[in-house]
Amino acid sequence: MTDFATLIQTLADGRVDFILIGGVAATIHGSARLTRDVDVVYARTDENLARLVAALGPLSPYLRGAPPGLPFSFDVETLRRGLNFTLTTRAGDLDLLGEVTGGGGFDRLRNHATAVSVYDRDVLCLGLDWLIRVKRAAGRPKDLEAVAELEILRDERRDP
Amino acid sequence: MDDRLPPLERDPVIDAYKKDVDRTLLRERLKRTPTERLEDLAALAAFADELAAAGRRRERS
Repeated sequence: MTDFATLIQTLADGRVDFILIGGVAATIHGSARLTRDVDVVYARTDENLARLVAALGPLSPYLRGAPPGLPFSFDVETLRRGLNFTLTTRAGDLDLLGEVTGGGGFDRLRNHATAVSVYDRDVLCLGLDWLIRVKRAAGRPKDLEAVAELEILRDERRDP
Repeated sequence: MDDRLPPLERDPVIDAYKKDVDRTLLRERLKRTPTERLEDLAALAAFADELAAAGRRRERS
């Protein structure tokens, strides 16, 4: 089971530049849907990759769904050579995304994220309008229900 | 990419899904803090896991 608090606190305490997106961001905006992983867009600077490795290393990240024993090394070089990583860790599943369809990377999404306080940490969470935009762009059937709920949440917030 | 948000066109499929969304539940969720919402999510995930485990135990018995 994913320990949402540990994953978020670990990234925040490691001073990683990241933005919460996906189901956890939807939950923060009020969604009642079940999600089991933490999705973040991370900055691709060398400094941030080093912070990611230092922060997450103790949680033993590994490629989710891959057979055990692969020569996977969670280090800066691996992150530099890749972009999006679906990982499992000792605190649960974590998706590290360098870019997302319809949204781009950290530098662009940062302008559309809001600071929220969760688990006694201040973190960035993608704003509701852009979360809807990104989920629509993903175009997966399962996202259509999620988008419906997010659009209702947006409407509820606008109503007096 | 243009960062200005064009108005999203209505999607009839998404609109159809909206009829099944529990708005009362969402209004209750919005009364809670972001951390409380995540704690609710963790509790829901634990409940779902327990249900799945119970199902597996029943299949084995």
